[in-house]
Amino acid sequence: MGVRRCIVLAWTGVSMDVDMTVEVGPLTLRSPVVTASGTFGSGREYADFVDLTRLGAVVTKGVSWDAWPGNPGPRIAETASGMLNSIGLQNPGVEAFIESDLAWLATQDVPVIVNVAGHTVAEYVAVAERLSAESSVAALELNISCPNVDEGGLAFGTTCKAAAEVTRAVRAATGLPLIVKLSPNVTDVSEIARAMEAEGADAVSLINTLLGMSIDTVTWRPRLARTVGGLSGPAIKPVALRMVWQVASRVGIPVIGMGGIMSAEDAVEFMLAGACAVAVGTANFVDPAATMKITDGLESYCRQRDIPRVADLTGAIVAQRTGER
Amino acid sequence: MTPDPQAARTSLERMRVVKNVQLTEGVGLVVFDAPRIARQVRPGQFIHLRIARDAAFILRRPFSVHRVRGDLIEIVYQVLGVGTRALSLAAPGEVMDAIGPLGTGWDVPDDVTHALLVAGGLGAAPLGMLAEELSAHGVAVSVALGAPTGERLVGRELFESVARRVVLCTDDGTVGRAGFVTAVVDALLVADRPDIVCACGPEAMARTVCEKASAAGVPCRVSLERLMACGVGACLSCVVSTRTGQKRACIDGPVFWADDVVWESVDASCWRGQG
Repeated sequence: MGVRRCIVLAWTGVSMDVDMTVEVGPLTLRSPVVTASGTFGSGREYADFVDLTRLGAVVTKGVSWDAWPGNPGPRIAETASGMLNSIGLQNPGVEAFIESDLAWLATQDVPVIVNVAGHTVAEYVAVAERLSAESSVAALELNISCPNVDEGGLAFGTTCKAAAEVTRAVRAATGLPLIVKLSPNVTDVSEIARAMEAEGADAVSLINTLLGMSIDTVTWRPRLARTVGGLSGPAIKPVALRMVWQVASRVGIPVIGMGGIMSAEDAVEFMLAGACAVAVGTANFVDPAATMKITDGLESYCRQRDIPRVADLTGAIVAQRTGER
Repeated sequence: MTPDPQAARTSLERMRVVKNVQLTEGVGLVVFDAPRIARQVRPGQFIHLRIARDAAFILRRPFSVHRVRGDLIEIVYQVLGVGTRALSLAAPGEVMDAIGPLGTGWDVPDDVTHALLVAGGLGAAPLGMLAEELSAHGVAVSVALGAPTGERLVGRELFESVARRVVLCTDDGTVGRAGFVTAVVDALLVADRPDIVCACGPEAMARTVCEKASAAGVPCRVSLERLMACGVGACLSCVVSTRTGQKRACIDGPVFWADDVVWESVDASCWRGQG
């Protein structure tokens, strides 16, 4: 602390280039700021607002083997400082995704991480194999944590055994860097994370949404057509931060942190808690340029404190004297 | 017919509130100074408005543009929840940002000579600009305007100033005919022989109008409302079922050809407390 304070005092406003690159296992990203799956389409939808080349990566919406129609509406409900969604992984299927979304993304100068969804282990494997044949895919993010589909999704993410089974099968099917996206709807997320590490995952990302619901007090009906959905937004940030901190302190693989990140300061918190990179989700809906503002803010945060590399923030949390770490 | 949604570049515009007045209980009119949107917006398009910062509600709210006057755009809104309540309290001089203009417009074909516009309640909002533009292009315009009560007949003066015929309907009979606006559609289809119908209002009303137009063999455009998060086509919250699959109200709509819509029972109560 003392040393850092001296550095801050010594800073005189001379501009310093901050090294924004981060390593996420085998991936080198030019920025720690990536997009959260399902909130950014395939990037094209935000191209008017965001310089995609400044993102660490575009993490696409979830892609399954066949087209999935998604859930009936209403699919969202606004809640205090957040929102519930039950989109249900609507997507056109992996072939249509490759033909349109991926083909467009391939022309953009940004790493593409494809979020992989499935109803069964075999479907996850098939999608992963198909995507592995595409040179424009930088990594896969295994979605075993979507709370909004009946089969697959969350069912694979809430027990170590099921999560390990699907991760093992996909690991064997792809040479691409493999990120496993974890659900917060479990008793001990670090236990699942450790199981993923043991199965050869290159990184874990967390948290997916927290299961929640909302009821209309006039009709007495749930606001979401599917009754329950996933809570996101600033409301979940403290929970997400705690889970990222728990996982980062118990696994050796990199952690991509997310959950209610709205500002550069939020991103800093996740990195201090142990995240190598951070994903921005619901904030994109509030401000379509949120990823750019957070990137700029992270850079100036580091510059103002004379921190040469943004990666220096990762895990740099200062333990409470009486607390555990 | 429908412009490529990817072709039009959208961006944020910081807009100053010029005027914000209550039209009747729970319905307001807000005027923004928004030169870029005012220049670009086509009838039927909407803006995705960030009403407040640092509030407990975080999502934007979509509002169709009712009318444009120079650099000013007019939005008619109903107070339905925390967002629109905050909007109703916005004072002149306040600045808000909006994404837009977004979505397909009414995009009425050029060869139309007589258009029938059918509006229920706040559904009149996106039809204001359209009535003006059609009328300015020499298209004869008939309007069927319905509301629960006379005070809530949104855009009445505007429609009366540009339309050849305006039929007013109120549920309580305070103004015009007593009953739903759908009750006068059949007669207008026969009397005015429109070559297009444009409808907006509660989903059940809009559906009935579309079915009547279809039965009469008249092409019909309908503007649909959905809860919406991103507004740019990414989040898939606002989907509408169509014959060619799930479409996004934000960029594939909000205006659709009625024959393409696969009607579902949308519970209007989903907007209560969510506006």
